[in-house]
Amino acid sequence: MKLRILLADDHEIVRRGLCALLQKHEGWEVCGEASDGREAVETAKQLKPDVVIVDIGMPYLNGLDTTRQLLQHDPHFKVIVLTITDSDQVIREALDAGARGFVLKSDAARDLVSAVEALQSKRMFFTPRVNDLVLAGFLDKGHAISRNEPPNLPTLTVREREVTQLLAEGKSSKEVATLLNLSTKTVETHRSNIMRKLSLHSIRDLVVYAIKNNIIQIQMPPQLRNTTEVPMA
Amino acid sequence: MENQPLRAYARSFLRGQRVMSVRILLVDDHPIVRQGLRTLLEGRSGWEVVGEASDGVEALEKVDTLQPDVVVLDVTMPRMNGLEACRLIQQKPKTNGLEVLFVTQHDSPQMMREALDAGARGYVVKSNAARDLLEAVEAVSQHRVFTALARSPGAAC
Repeated sequence: MKLRILLADDHEIVRRGLCALLQKHEGWEVCGEASDGREAVETAKQLKPDVVIVDIGMPYLNGLDTTRQLLQHDPHFKVIVLTITDSDQVIREALDAGARGFVLKSDAARDLVSAVEALQSKRMFFTPRVNDLVLAGFLDKGHAISRNEPPNLPTLTVREREVTQLLAEGKSSKEVATLLNLSTKTVETHRSNIMRKLSLHSIRDLVVYAIKNNIIQIQMPPQLRNTTEVPMA
Repeated sequence: MENQPLRAYARSFLRGQRVMSVRILLVDDHPIVRQGLRTLLEGRSGWEVVGEASDGVEALEKVDTLQPDVVVLDVTMPRMNGLEACRLIQQKPKTNGLEVLFVTQHDSPQMMREALDAGARGYVVKSNAARDLLEAVEAVSQHRVFTALARSPGAAC
């Protein structure tokens, strides 16, 4: 029986590349694709794939919250997170969300097949940097993986995280309500709870918070970037 | 099997289309993106991906050795970004007829203007590459301008 894989990335060109890579492997099939996190959750519930590969930077619902929702629905889902950066904070959030694989997008052509093979054999797959951090954290509880980081989102519910992302993407309360099948009044209640819990005072503060906490990702023109750092896809 | 290209040509000819040969160089720092672009482009009869490069420096070398008709270029790359590479490609003496098409995540009119100022003939946003890429390559290979941002359909002139 073939191993069934669901791909979630907002760029069709990336999904085509991933598809071409994975389907070369005998015994694997890409059973479905999704272009955002919400679609990924719904498709995974229907198709029940063996492995779900999710990009972190997806619209409507980012890859980390997609992972959380998938595992909340069924803890047996095996999720590999694709990321453009393996910063301490992203690593910690991916582990915290329950991802069993962590692959840098820039290395996906090299590492993704190994990651799926690892999950197929009931093992995990992480980049060397994740392994170093986890090991260092184990040996030294004061290591960077648990310090010098902005706080996680401990007080937000799954729904509040979804609302946070959609508001930070520039959607109005009415648009959020339509997307989440809620009343505008309910969204506004979520919105004021979020602002209160996070001690934020404006949508601008919310956007900054969302960027700092990897809820949304922004593009920077090359002039503002150090070209030696890990670039965005 | 060896008759496949001939059959493809015949099919295309019968459909009343002229098969135009286009040699393409793909430049993106992510191999998985190059693979996706390749999959899309190689579906078109007569088009050939002659090489790949992972940054601007490698792109400049491969432009010299492979002499492509179209360079599909990312903006944000290590070592040398796409804008700089595009400017330097334009300064090369033996690139007559070569056209640059940007395929980038930057969905902004400012970046598009910079790309065209750098000498590019086309600009496509990565999130819509599957929608716009084939039309864009066709246009720029015929020395027409093709630009498309995410929320606007492509326009060639």
